[in-house]
Amino acid sequence: MKIVVCVKQVPATADARIDPETKRIIREGTKAVLNPFDLYAVEEAVRIRERAGGEVIALSMGPENAKNSLIEALSMGADRAVLLCDRAFGGSDTWATGYALSKAIEALGGADLIICGKQAVDGDTAQVGPGIAARLDIMQAANVSKVEDVDPGHIRVCRSNEYGYDLLRLRLPALITVLKDINIPRIPTLKNARKARQADIAVWTPSDIGADPGLIGLNASPTRVVKTEPPALRDSVTLHIDGGEPEKAAAALAGELFGRGLL
Amino acid sequence: MEKNNTPKGFPAFHVEIIPPKQDSVKLEDDLTLFAAKFERVMASGFTASITDNAMGLLAFQGHECIEELGLKARPGQVLIHLNTFHTKETLEEILTACQRLGIFSVLAISGDGSPRLPKLKPAEMEAEETEAVTSVELIRYIRRHYPLFTVGAAFNPYEPEKHEFEKLDRKLEAGAAFVITQPIIEKNSVVDRLLQDYPELPVTVEAWMSKKLYLLSDVVGYPIPEDAVFDPIDTLRRLRDIYPLCGTYLSLLGFKTQYELIEAMSPERREAR
Repeated sequence: MKIVVCVKQVPATADARIDPETKRIIREGTKAVLNPFDLYAVEEAVRIRERAGGEVIALSMGPENAKNSLIEALSMGADRAVLLCDRAFGGSDTWATGYALSKAIEALGGADLIICGKQAVDGDTAQVGPGIAARLDIMQAANVSKVEDVDPGHIRVCRSNEYGYDLLRLRLPALITVLKDINIPRIPTLKNARKARQADIAVWTPSDIGADPGLIGLNASPTRVVKTEPPALRDSVTLHIDGGEPEKAAAALAGELFGRGLL
Repeated sequence: MEKNNTPKGFPAFHVEIIPPKQDSVKLEDDLTLFAAKFERVMASGFTASITDNAMGLLAFQGHECIEELGLKARPGQVLIHLNTFHTKETLEEILTACQRLGIFSVLAISGDGSPRLPKLKPAEMEAEETEAVTSVELIRYIRRHYPLFTVGAAFNPYEPEKHEFEKLDRKLEAGAAFVITQPIIEKNSVVDRLLQDYPELPVTVEAWMSKKLYLLSDVVGYPIPEDAVFDPIDTLRRLRDIYPLCGTYLSLLGFKTQYELIEAMSPERREAR
């Protein structure tokens, strides 16, 4: 089973800032982390490989320091990693990113299964995974909460919906995007973390993946960000309740919450 | 770490060592530093007290640093912290590895969680009657399945007193054999009561070795001004006079500037020289 897991480096949520002029996230000087949903994608990919054998390839697109996210994927058990890194990719929206990643997967010789996190926490679009599947013209299931089983030709998954879940059987190759319910991502061991930091991460340019220059980057991205701003901060109040006895303190707390219409 | 097995009733220091963080960008340097600190603590005859994802920040485990770096844990000189934010599988791995390394002292704490850290489940700790796993369930589980381990517990003199002593009783009933307090910087009436009411219980008091006293604000529950003047070494000397029969846990110890002073305070080290 050849599994490609797509990951993205995103700003740490607590550090996220938005440029008021460009409406884009300020990435310079901001702590970057592996997109939290992608941890679950990597974990699921490694678990499937552990059951079914094969190979897990972590794939990302971004600046040079996006290698750190790939190192994390390798630390968790991915076998190798590829980074699409070139100025020509810069400014790509979900449309252009989906195209670039699909071309990279083709350059890898295709995959039996592609796994993505549900969405990236910086853009929150949840479009890239389905976009890759559409470009590759393969079956897809978004919001997967459980992989029931995988055989050489099919994968059976639970796709969450607002009422419960759909049990789907997809013909491979296929793409799934996964939710946080699907597993508990492993914490990398020191041994694996050291090995991952020594690994050679392939860096590919548009020509390496045979990408049409007219379909990548800012100019190929139809999305226009009209307005982005952080949500207004909520007023917060710290209230110290001197209760002494736990029962009295709890009663005082409940009274406060009721009084403020919070209970 | 027990006060009755230290030379001349003068307990060894517990020196806190924080393993490298998972997201370290200079991991090899951090490991080298970890190894240097560990070996220095071993050579001093002190106890290396190794934290477990302190403050919910993902770090490597103490046992894997020791094993991976080929360090030698001297008998009775390593204390591994173990909190409740693990999978059952990881918990077993840690305890099994500690046995393999000859480490049999564990400080069981509830710990600080983070979205990245899983939490032990009551059923996994054979504690279905509880809603959540705390250090009490963890202590009981370790004592039940790993009887060779000596398990310690935390004691927080800043919590409501009645509640903290009730919790302490539950920890002791579960099998805790010693306690380590939260940092104190002067004579503390709750610690005094602890020593008086539990005369047989080995107690180690934590000394704050950073000059940044305000970092303790969250621990003590009231704001400490950022410009508060604090002399950690002087405070440590005072604490050891006030609590001569207690062990001393040194958090945030400066190895470059403070360590030699600490060694000089240790009678066994003075004699060795």
